[in-house]
Amino acid sequence: MHNILEEFARTNRLREVSPALKLFIGLASILVSVSSPGPVAPLLVAAAMSAAVLVLAKIPARFYARLLLIPASFAVMSIAVILFITGGGAVLVEVPGLPLAITADGANLALLLLARVFGGMCSLYFIALTTPTTEIFEILRRLRVPTVLIDLAMLTYRFIFILIEEAGQIYRSQVMRLGYSRFRESVQSFGMLAGALFIRTWESGEALVLAMDARCYDGKLGIPGKTRPLSLSALAAALLYIGAIFGISLSTGGLVLL
Amino acid sequence: MHIMEGFLPSPWWQIWFIVSLPFIVIGLYQLNKLVREKREALPLLAVAGAFVFVLSSLKLPSFNGSCSHPTGTGLGGILFGPCIAAVLGLIVLVFQAVFLAHGGITTLGANVFSMGIAGPLVAYLIYKAGTRAGANTYATVFLAAALADLTTYVVTSVQLALAFPGSVGFFGAFTAFAAIFAVTQVPLAIIEGAIIALVFKYIVQLKPEILTRLNLLSESTVQRLREAAA
Repeated sequence: MHNILEEFARTNRLREVSPALKLFIGLASILVSVSSPGPVAPLLVAAAMSAAVLVLAKIPARFYARLLLIPASFAVMSIAVILFITGGGAVLVEVPGLPLAITADGANLALLLLARVFGGMCSLYFIALTTPTTEIFEILRRLRVPTVLIDLAMLTYRFIFILIEEAGQIYRSQVMRLGYSRFRESVQSFGMLAGALFIRTWESGEALVLAMDARCYDGKLGIPGKTRPLSLSALAAALLYIGAIFGISLSTGGLVLL
Repeated sequence: MHIMEGFLPSPWWQIWFIVSLPFIVIGLYQLNKLVREKREALPLLAVAGAFVFVLSSLKLPSFNGSCSHPTGTGLGGILFGPCIAAVLGLIVLVFQAVFLAHGGITTLGANVFSMGIAGPLVAYLIYKAGTRAGANTYATVFLAAALADLTTYVVTSVQLALAFPGSVGFFGAFTAFAAIFAVTQVPLAIIEGAIIALVFKYIVQLKPEILTRLNLLSESTVQRLREAAA
């Protein structure tokens, strides 16, 4: 899954657009979504970001739909709690035999949260699917984030892909030997997988130290950056979009659906 | 237990950023010092961060069919202490938000606090107390990892209850969130504790010098554990 996300980030149609602009659009959308007092603006953000991902960046729709389902379980559980503990307004549904009821205020809050989560997720995926992580590191460097943090993040990033591959290999060979056939075995096998992975990880880390020393590592990683020019029309369109969703968020503040 | 993007309203997401900031700053300071003294620390910390990420993206065996992932916070806290674990946690959480849609950017502060700071801190304190008291190493590791997991889940419930007290007040909301998350989180914490203890066992058996170099176990303890296993 991670490999695929990153592959899309490298090959999508918005690849040549300035990464700073894409990051700015994504983050501004998230901020508008999270601070919007009504559900209309976040839903518009979700629609706009999805359109950008599907139409402009040409990401396959089925893949995108699968991605959106990933965070569903947390959202459903937490929104269910909020639905029941928020009182006020007319009672809409009562659970027979239990002191639980859904009221209008609770339903409105749940709807607003669902819209905000949806808007935020779509904006996050917009960043993840159109901007390769290496370009985000370059922006962080220009923003004067401490070098030690960026270097650590870059090395971590590199190793994630190597380790996922190894974990997958170990997991598949364990499954073939019936390592996950019963619950007890599953715990045992998973522990073995994690232990083996940790030791291998550590060894590859030590090998990396040697390799870096051999190439005169002096405590800093120098990565040549590539700048992508920012086109004025793209910037104007982005500002127009952000202005529009911000205005809608302000003007639909008092709107409640129930 | 990640809080998703968009879930925490203002001012709560800003507040949790401010709460987490000092730990990150101290962690960065310690990290800088460590890297200057020992250059090999940076790659090793990076592989540890990647390990935590990969561990947390694997699906754990579970009884109730729910999708549960280990947090790996306990291990980070035990290995590197709470402040550096906070920096690793920050990096891992950003990658999780961007690659896996676990967590988010505005909720990063709250997630860093529950999973990068509170969890590792508990794990670290229990591990230190356990080794000082001379308790069984594996039992200590189990407790540290399991309670770190439980701590992150209690802290997440507190964060959600503070943001959404509803009409039942903070304590009522806290009980509601804690109760509904307990279904998945309590078994998860126990399984994660057992798994991290197993990881420790493999490291002691196969490559104990990692643990002695990080000053986590003394040579004599390793010797004793290996003899007990043989």
